[in-house]
Amino acid sequence: MSDQQLQQLVKMVNQIAANQHGEEAQAAQRVATHLQKFWARSMKAQIIAYLDEGGAELTPLAREAVLRLKHERQAG
Amino acid sequence: MLNYFDPNKDAFSRDMGTPARLSEKHIALTIDGVEISVPEGTSVLRAAALAGITIPKLCASDNLEAFGSCRLCAVEVEGRRGYPASCTTPVAEGMEVTTQTGKLAKLRRNIMELYISDHPLDCLTCPANGDCELQDMAGAVGLRQVRYGFDGANHLDAETDASNPYFSFDPSKCIVCSRCVRACEEVQGTFALTIDGRGFDSKVVAGQAENFMDSECVSCGACVQACPTSTLMEKSVIEQGVPEHSVVTTCAYCGVGCSFKAEMKGDQLVRMVPYKGGDANHGHSCVKGRFAFGYATHKDRIKAPMIRESINAPWREVSWEEAIGFAARRLKDTQAKYGRESIGGITSSRCTNEETFLVQKLIRAAFGNNNTDTCARVCHSPTGFGLKTTLGESAGTQTFDSVMKADTILVIGANPTDAHPVFASQMRRRLRQGATLIVADPRRIDLLKTPHGSKSMHLALKPGTNVALVNSLAHVVVAEGLEDKAFIESRCEPEAYQAWREFIKEERNSPEALEAETGVPAAQVREAARAYASVGNGAIYYGLGVTEHSQGSTMVMGIANLAMATGNLGREGVGVNPLRGQNNVQGSCDMGSFPHELPGYQHVADPAVRERFETVWRVKIDDEPGLRIPNMFDAAIAGTFKALYVQGEDIAQSDPNTQHVESALTSLDCLIVQDIFLNETAKYAHVLLPGSTFLEKNGTFTNAERRINRVRKVMSPVAGKEDWEVTQDLANALGYPMNYSHPSEIMDEIAQLTPTFTGVSYAKLDELGSIQWPCNDVYPNGTPTMHEVDFPIGKGHFAITEYVATEERTNRRYPLLLTTGRILSQYNVGAQTRRTENSQWHHEDVLEIHPSDAEMRGIREGDWLGIASRVGQTVLRCKISERMQPGVVYTTFHHPGSGANVITTDNSDWATNCPEYKVTAVQVEKVTRPSEWQKNFRHFDERQQAYLGQVTEASAIAFK
Repeated sequence: MSDQQLQQLVKMVNQIAANQHGEEAQAAQRVATHLQKFWARSMKAQIIAYLDEGGAELTPLAREAVLRLKHERQAG
Repeated sequence: MLNYFDPNKDAFSRDMGTPARLSEKHIALTIDGVEISVPEGTSVLRAAALAGITIPKLCASDNLEAFGSCRLCAVEVEGRRGYPASCTTPVAEGMEVTTQTGKLAKLRRNIMELYISDHPLDCLTCPANGDCELQDMAGAVGLRQVRYGFDGANHLDAETDASNPYFSFDPSKCIVCSRCVRACEEVQGTFALTIDGRGFDSKVVAGQAENFMDSECVSCGACVQACPTSTLMEKSVIEQGVPEHSVVTTCAYCGVGCSFKAEMKGDQLVRMVPYKGGDANHGHSCVKGRFAFGYATHKDRIKAPMIRESINAPWREVSWEEAIGFAARRLKDTQAKYGRESIGGITSSRCTNEETFLVQKLIRAAFGNNNTDTCARVCHSPTGFGLKTTLGESAGTQTFDSVMKADTILVIGANPTDAHPVFASQMRRRLRQGATLIVADPRRIDLLKTPHGSKSMHLALKPGTNVALVNSLAHVVVAEGLEDKAFIESRCEPEAYQAWREFIKEERNSPEALEAETGVPAAQVREAARAYASVGNGAIYYGLGVTEHSQGSTMVMGIANLAMATGNLGREGVGVNPLRGQNNVQGSCDMGSFPHELPGYQHVADPAVRERFETVWRVKIDDEPGLRIPNMFDAAIAGTFKALYVQGEDIAQSDPNTQHVESALTSLDCLIVQDIFLNETAKYAHVLLPGSTFLEKNGTFTNAERRINRVRKVMSPVAGKEDWEVTQDLANALGYPMNYSHPSEIMDEIAQLTPTFTGVSYAKLDELGSIQWPCNDVYPNGTPTMHEVDFPIGKGHFAITEYVATEERTNRRYPLLLTTGRILSQYNVGAQTRRTENSQWHHEDVLEIHPSDAEMRGIREGDWLGIASRVGQTVLRCKISERMQPGVVYTTFHHPGSGANVITTDNSDWATNCPEYKVTAVQVEKVTRPSEWQKNFRHFDERQQAYLGQVTEASAIAFK
C-alpha cells in the first residue's frame, strides 16, 4: 500500500460521506453499505487498517462508516 | 462466414413517394381498378405504391414532403379536370384514379424531353449509370427523341464543386428537383442549401453561394442520398463504380446506433448508406457513419500479433498461438507471484455485446476475480448508479422517436448536434414543429441555433453547479404547485417523497438562493421549470455534462426526481434519456463489465445470482467487487496490480490526469492491448493483439434507447480473427475452456443468464430488425417505453440531492474553469476519424476562450496558449469564441498530442469514480513552445512508432 493510494481511498470515503445527509447513524450506515457494495476486497481491507491505525484524516461520518464496515465484515 | 442479409427487402427498398401518414381514419379509393384503403392524408402517389402500382416521379421521395415540381407523377382522377400531381393530391373517399393513359404518357414524355434537353447524354460514362432515377424515368416514359436539340442555352458547362472530401457536386447534371435542398431542411435541419435564381437560371447553391466545404454544410450525406441523378455523388462511387450487393449493419460510432447498408463490391466497401428500415435513424446519417469508414482499410491497421519483453524494445511479429501463449504465461506468472487479484481487464464500449460479455467472463471465470471495468466508468457510470437508485433500472426510458411527442425538451450537459447528430436532426424536426427547448449548459450549443425552431431558453450555468440548478428547478415545481400529485401518489414511495419534498422546498434550494452559485438568473430558472412541468409532455435528455462531475450520480438522481415529481415518465413524449457517447456504452454496462455486477446489473454478492452463473460457467465466482479503472491505476502504482488486458479502449488518451495513467501503465509487468491501431495505450503494451473493426465481425450493439441492433460481418478480419475469438483463445490458453463457434451462441448464453434478455436471440433480431430490452416472457417483442405501469423496484424512489460543491475551485492562480467536450467530425480519441478525411474539418484541438478573457491576457486568435492546471500543463492554439461565458474555457481531446487530459484532474464522482472531466481550474497564457509533457510525448511516440516500423521492415524482409 502506498501513501498515494491510501490518500486516494481516504479522499473517496470522505467524499462519499460528504454526499450523505440526514440523521448520522443512518448516513453512516449508507456509507458503509456503499463501501461494502462497491469497493474491492483490498480497498476495504486498506481503509479498515487505516482506521485501526488511527484514521486521522477520516471525517467523523467516514470514520463511523468504516467502523461499521469493519464490524459487518467481522460478523459476516 | 460473410453475411448477405437484407431484411424486409420490399418494405424498405421501395420509395413510396411521399411520407407515411399516421391517421387512424382510413380512406378507400381505387387506383387503376385496384381497391385500396389508406390512412387519411396519404398522397395518391403513396397509395398507388402501397397498391403495388408505380407512377413515374422525380422530385418526390418518401423521406421528404411532397413538392409537386416535376409533374411527372401526374394522374387522371375521375370527375376532376386536368392532370393533378399525385404526390400533392391527398386521397379522398371513393376516388377513382387512373395512372396510365395515352394523354398521361404524352405529357410525361414531354416533361422528360424538356429535362433531357438540358442534361448531358453521357450515361455510359456517368458514375450514376445503373443507379440513376432520371435514366430510369427516361426509360419508363419511353423517351426516344429530344426535338429541341442541344444548341440552345443550357447548364452543361457548369463547374463541378469537389471541395467536400466525400462527395462531389456536378451542377451540369442537376435537374433542380429540390430534393437536396429539402433533405437538408427536412431531414438534416441545417438549411445549408437553397435554390438561387428564378426560372431557367435556378440552381442549387450551398451557403451564400460558396463551395460546399466553406458553407455551413455538415456533410451528413442526406442531399447525396436524395439526389436522383449523379449531381451529388459519393466520390467512392465515382472512383469504384456502383456496388453490387449490400448488407444491413450498425454504425460503430456514437450511441445513436444508426442502421446502414454497407454497399459492397466483393469484400470491398464502396459506400455506407443509411438504412430506411433502421429503427434508430430511419434512413438518416451523419458525416462519421456515412463517410468516415476509411480507417478500416488504413495502412496503420495492426495486421499481426506482436509481443515484446519490455516497452523499451522493438515489437516482434509472432503467430496467434505464440502471442496468446505468451500473454497467458505472463498472466499466470503474475498471479503466481502477486496473487489472484493482481490482474484484471477492461472491456470496450466499442466492441459488441458478445465480446464484452466474453471479456468479463474471462476475468471472472479464468482470472478468478472481479477486476473488470469498462470505459463507461469514465462516461456514464453515474447514470447506472443514479437511475438504478431512483427508477430501478440503469437505462434511458424512451425510444428516440418519443421526442416527436415532447412539448418541452430539456437538454442538460449534452451537445446533440455534435455528439449525437442523427438524433439531433430528429430533435430539431420537433423543435420546428413547435416544441420548446431548454438548454442547461455552460456553452451556447448549436441546438440553440436551430433554424426555424420555436421558443428556446439557455440556462448558462457555471461548470460544476448542475445539482444546484436541478434542485432549484425542482424547488419551483414544488413551490409553485406544479407537481403531478396523482403520479406521485400512485407510482412513488410516499416516505422518500415526503422527505425529499421537505428538503427541496427549503428556501436554500430556491432559484433566488442559488442564483449566485449557478450564475443563472432566478427568473430564467422559474420560467424553465414552468415550461418543463406545466406542458403536456416534458422530456429530459442529458449527456456527459451531467455525469462527468464530482456529483454526477447526484445530478442523475436529481433529474429522475424532477421527472417523477412532474409525472414525466411512463409514456411517449417524456422520460429521462441519457445520450450515450459510444456505440455500445449501454451494452457494455448491460453485459456485466462493472466490477460489482454480473450481466444484467446483478450484484456479485448475491448468492442466488452467483449460483446461476456458477452452474453455467462451471467455476466459482468471487463474491466481492473488483477494482474500478482508477483503483486499478492506483494499485498499479502501489505495486499490487501488475497485469491488465485491455480490449478496444485507449485509457492513455481518454482517461484523466494522463501523467498518472502513464505512470500506472509503466508500472505493469504485463499489458495486453487488443486494438485495431497502435493507440496511445498500446505504446505501453507487451502484447499487441490485432482487433477487428465492426465491418469484420458479427455481433450486436445496444444503443442509447436500449435497442439491440445486429452488427454483420461484411469483410474478413485483417488478422484473421474476430475479437471474441481472441478472448476465447486467451481463456483456453489460461485453462478455462470456451468453445463458441458463432457470436449467436454467446447471445444465447447472455439470454440464459440475464433476466432482461431472456427473449433475445439472433433469429428474433433478424425477424424484428431490432429489439429494445427488456425482452422476456412479459415483453416478448421488447420494451420501447419503460416504466409504463410500475418501476422495476416497484415504486419510484425520490433521492435527496444535497448540493456539494466540487473541491476543484478557481483561485488567483487558476482563475478559469476548463470544460471539455466533442465536435461533430471527430469521434472520441479520434483513432478512427483522425485516419479519415474528417480531419479536414478538425485537424487539431483548440482552446475556446471568451473575447474578454482573451483581451485581458493579450491573446489573439491562433496564438499558442499554455494551459496549466494543478496537475499538468499543455499547449493548444487559441480560438476566440462567444459561445463561451467569461471565466470558462473549452477544448476537445480528439488528438493525443493535445494533451487535454494532462490537465484534467483525478477528482471524480463520489459514488462511481467517474472522472470530473468537466471542471478543471486552469490558467491560460500566451506561450511560444509546446509543454514539457508534449515534448516527452513526441519523443515517446516517435520511439514507439519506430519499434513498430522495425517489425514491418523485418517482416517485409522475411517475405522476400
